[in-house]
Amino acid sequence: MDLLERAPIELKSWFLSLLGSFGVPQWILSVLSALLIIGTVIGVFLGLFALMSVMERKILARAQNRYGPNRVGFFRWRLFGLFQPVADGIKMITKEDLVPRTADKAVHFLAPVAMMIPALMVLAILPYGRDMVPAELDAGLLYFFAVGAGTEVAVFMAGWASNNKYSVLGAMRAIAQMISYEIPLVIAAIIAAMISGSLSPSAIVAAQGGFTWGFVPQWFVFTPWGFAACLVFYIGALAESNRSPFDLPEGESELVAGHLTEYSGFKYATFFMAEYVGMFAVCGMLVTLFLGGWQAPLPLLTIIPSWCWFLGKVCFVAFTMVWVRATLPRLRIDHLLAFAWKFLLPMSFAAFLAAACWHYAGRGPLAWFLSLAIVAVPYLILGTAFSNRFALSRRLYQFSE
Amino acid sequence: MICDFLKTCCADPLKLLGEWFVLLPAMVLLLSAAAAAVMRNLIRAALCLTLSFIALGIVFITLGAEFVGFVQLLVYVGAVAMVIVFAILLTRPDQLAKSGSAFSGLGPAGGAAAGFVALAVLLGFIFASPLAKKPLSAPVSAPVAAIGEALMGDYVVALIAVGILLTAALVGASVLALEDKQP
Amino acid sequence: MTLQILLAISAVLFAFGLVATLSRSNAIMVLIGIELMLGASNLNFIVFWRFSENPAAMVGVMFAIFSIAVAAAEAAVGLAIIILVHRRINSVEADDASNLKG
Repeated sequence: MDLLERAPIELKSWFLSLLGSFGVPQWILSVLSALLIIGTVIGVFLGLFALMSVMERKILARAQNRYGPNRVGFFRWRLFGLFQPVADGIKMITKEDLVPRTADKAVHFLAPVAMMIPALMVLAILPYGRDMVPAELDAGLLYFFAVGAGTEVAVFMAGWASNNKYSVLGAMRAIAQMISYEIPLVIAAIIAAMISGSLSPSAIVAAQGGFTWGFVPQWFVFTPWGFAACLVFYIGALAESNRSPFDLPEGESELVAGHLTEYSGFKYATFFMAEYVGMFAVCGMLVTLFLGGWQAPLPLLTIIPSWCWFLGKVCFVAFTMVWVRATLPRLRIDHLLAFAWKFLLPMSFAAFLAAACWHYAGRGPLAWFLSLAIVAVPYLILGTAFSNRFALSRRLYQFSE
Repeated sequence: MICDFLKTCCADPLKLLGEWFVLLPAMVLLLSAAAAAVMRNLIRAALCLTLSFIALGIVFITLGAEFVGFVQLLVYVGAVAMVIVFAILLTRPDQLAKSGSAFSGLGPAGGAAAGFVALAVLLGFIFASPLAKKPLSAPVSAPVAAIGEALMGDYVVALIAVGILLTAALVGASVLALEDKQP
Repeated sequence: MTLQILLAISAVLFAFGLVATLSRSNAIMVLIGIELMLGASNLNFIVFWRFSENPAAMVGVMFAIFSIAVAAAEAAVGLAIIILVHRRINSVEADDASNLKG
């Protein structure tokens, strides 16, 4: 079992020592070691992206009572249409790459690149398993958000370079949405960092180890403040990765496709890929911060390797995101921003306060109920205020007469 | 000096990542800053400015100030650059570019002359100073925990002052930019 | 790598910022120049901290952090003023905002 747990690390060191015995210089080995880690991480996440692109369509189809893609196969083997990403990839690459005549050509070309780089870079600090962090950074959480800020620039570049009013409008909306939702997102992340006393993701995971009464895992999501912060982070993550119901920057009914309107072929595929990899990265961060990272949910289940738990949890969170997409309609832009500033931000502050009280009240049952009260009271007040404000009423058609 | 440098490079290229690597982002920084300062197209100037912010953050990280580098990226790239871009879009640069030149009364020559004089004075002092010959010491680091303790300890008054300043700036900026009801 | 190379880099960066501030007519470009100069001063703080006798005291790092925070506030207020001026006189040229000139 221990062998399986450490399999990726052992495999890499075995390969490197094999090369070392052939007299390869030390510096080539250390570069190769880094490249192996990078290659594995990127390979796994691109594989997850390919799987997700077909699974999302199948799950959506299931939710809408139809079949979804089930035809593409390899000669005679259909395998439930799992070869769909291959067909999609071939289609994307062979499509014509259109660049509008009035576009800013250099920026138009650079935007997909600028989108892809941060999406891949943030993968570096996630703890994929016990002792499996590609880059062990002291300020890993800060790195995650600092690098993620590059996405906004890329979205703006795409929207502006296309020289199309829908693109610019979509990009402006996307940036407004990302900046607004980044604040609750960061505050929710700070809560986890505050309780575990470190900005390093592996330390945050380590702080969630162990079990209460021998079977309840001490993940942050099982405390009142952690549950609230986890929900805030989840909603913020949905908005940051432009997922439904917050996908109005690319709402096809009003903005054609927002900043993606003028992109086609491989550049569009790059955007698509970057969005999904970014979504997986933010899911991984959610798992790291609140769902215990690579920790197993029961003491009995620690025999399953830690990296399997991590990937499994990430896939579960990604599945819930598809579920939400199948369930909820798209928001309007003013509702979206009002929700961020008037509901999520106060709730994240409440969770922050609750976490502080939980810590100073001794982290016992009393602290549990105290923090529950601190989270529940603002939730009830804001929730009633919002549901009264947005109550469904008879629609007035002012201009239809 | 150059010869030694090349010799270390050939023996162990990773050494390059140690001491001299900082020159690479520094060059990107200077080139993009120059482009940002003189470019006529406002949006491209803002994008070059963003690139120079990123390069500056990388310079900070290579100098050992990891935390400051990340804060620089988060604040400047994520917020300041985006605010500048928003301001450019809200003030419609296309109409302005057609009317008049991109330079003020001082003109490009005057500005360049002033910049050159300032640069000459600064460089003169820098190269005259005996302190400036100081070689690089062993790598130093600013651990996050130590920064946090310093912020909450010795610098707590400054931290609170910055908090008040940022709140005031937030309120002030939103009041300023609010639509006037009665012009 | 000596102190003077890094200081020279930051001096050049400062000069670029000065050129942009003094010669550009658009107020946003003036602000971009100010941001460049602030970046140069932050670079100086970090460089002097890197070469200081007692880096564990982290004075330079602290100064850079506070300077970044103040610069963010300055950019927000500055751009709000520029947008307000644009709304009043329909121009962002710094020379056009001359209502108080006698």
